[in-house]
This record gives sequence, C-alpha cells and structure tokens, in this order.
Amino acid sequence: MAEEINAAANTSENEVVLRIYEVGYHIIPTVLEENVEKVVGDIRTVIEKAGGSFIAEGAPAMTRLAYEMEHQDGDKRSYFDKAYFGWIKFEAPIASAAALEEFLKTNVSFLRHIIFQTVREETRAKIKAPTLREVKRTDTIKSSPRRTEEASAPVSEVDLDKALLDITE
Amino acid sequence: MANILTQNDIQHIDYKDVDLLKQFVNPHGRVMSRKRTDLTAKQQRAVEAAVKRARFMGLLPYIQK
Repeated sequence: MAEEINAAANTSENEVVLRIYEVGYHIIPTVLEENVEKVVGDIRTVIEKAGGSFIAEGAPAMTRLAYEMEHQDGDKRSYFDKAYFGWIKFEAPIASAAALEEFLKTNVSFLRHIIFQTVREETRAKIKAPTLREVKRTDTIKSSPRRTEEASAPVSEVDLDKALLDITE
Repeated sequence: MANILTQNDIQHIDYKDVDLLKQFVNPHGRVMSRKRTDLTAKQQRAVEAAVKRARFMGLLPYIQK
C-alpha cells in the first residue's frame, strides 16, 4: 500500500507540467535593425533549451512609447521613447518561465519585458470596435472633391509677365 | 444595451489591443468605472489587467495631461 502511494508520488513528481506563457519585450532602439532578429533568436534559444514549443509570435517592430523608459547598461543610464516591440506565445514547463525572466533581466539589449500565463487561443480582438471619434468624423467631415491636377503645359515668358501685371495692377 | 465586448463577441482581452483598451480609459488615462463601461464584473477585471499590462509596457500612458 505504502509502495503504491510512493509510486504515485514519484510519477507526479516526474511529470512535467506545461503551461502557456506569453512574453512581450522591448529591444532598445540603438540595436541595429539587422541585429534585432539575432536578439529575438536568443529568446527562442532559451525557450527551446527549457523544453518549450512556440504557439504564436509577433515580429519586433519599432514602436513609439507612451512615456520615456530608463535603461541602465553598467554605469551608463539612458532614456528611450521608442523601442522594437515584439512578443512570443509559447508552451513550456514552469521552470522555463523563471529561466527566461532571468535571461531578459541580465541581457542589456532589452529595455523592458513582461511574462505572464495566458491561453492557447488567439487573444487579439478580430473586430475593431467602433469608436465614438470615428462616428463623429463621418458626421462632421464632408468629403470635398479632390482638386484635379491641371495639365501642365509649358508657359511662355510673355504669358507669365502678363499674368503678373494683372495681379499687381 | 450590451457592452462593446459582448456586441463584438470578444472573449479575450489582449494588452496589445491598444485601440480597444483606449475605449475603456478616460482622456486622463484612468480606467472608466463599470457604470460607464457597462461591462460584466469578469470583463471589467480582464480589461483592468490588460490596461495595467499595456501601461507597464509603455503602450498606454499612466497619466495623460
């Protein structure tokens, strides 16, 4: 009986519990665009090493931040108001989230990051909810006909002088 | 009348959906009350969590002058 309980405990200990996580990150803008992919590759390596598998990914793109963020690289402190923002959704053991957190904290290429548990399904809203502003725009702004470009014919000096005289007189 | 999330059949709130989240914050950047948003308690909690994540990641401001 006792052996059975022990055996059951052992199997539950050996079982690797997988969870769905999402990591969002900001890469500092001083990193060259061609090197951004390499930096993201490092995140992928950490996840793969910890036995994780990828579900979805958003490629890093330059994003303007809502406020300035402080970044410290050794003794050097700098502030950024834009960064490359990207995200990865993955399934991995619990320990891998801690390992990834540690990697992101120590790597100076990252301005800020967030890791949280999520669901496998797509969480982005597919339908853009109508905004009050949009309704107002269609109500108030009337579409004015665009001015058609007048055919530009070569203008003679005489015509130009005559037109100038008409204006000045 | 049903709220925006129910109307559009939105099951999950993502912190990256800034345009959607902006509809639940006032011009000062504060989260609107349930009285104004008309969300269910569960939806309101999800929106609050998403707004906080978006603020932390600099996608939404903490305060707006």
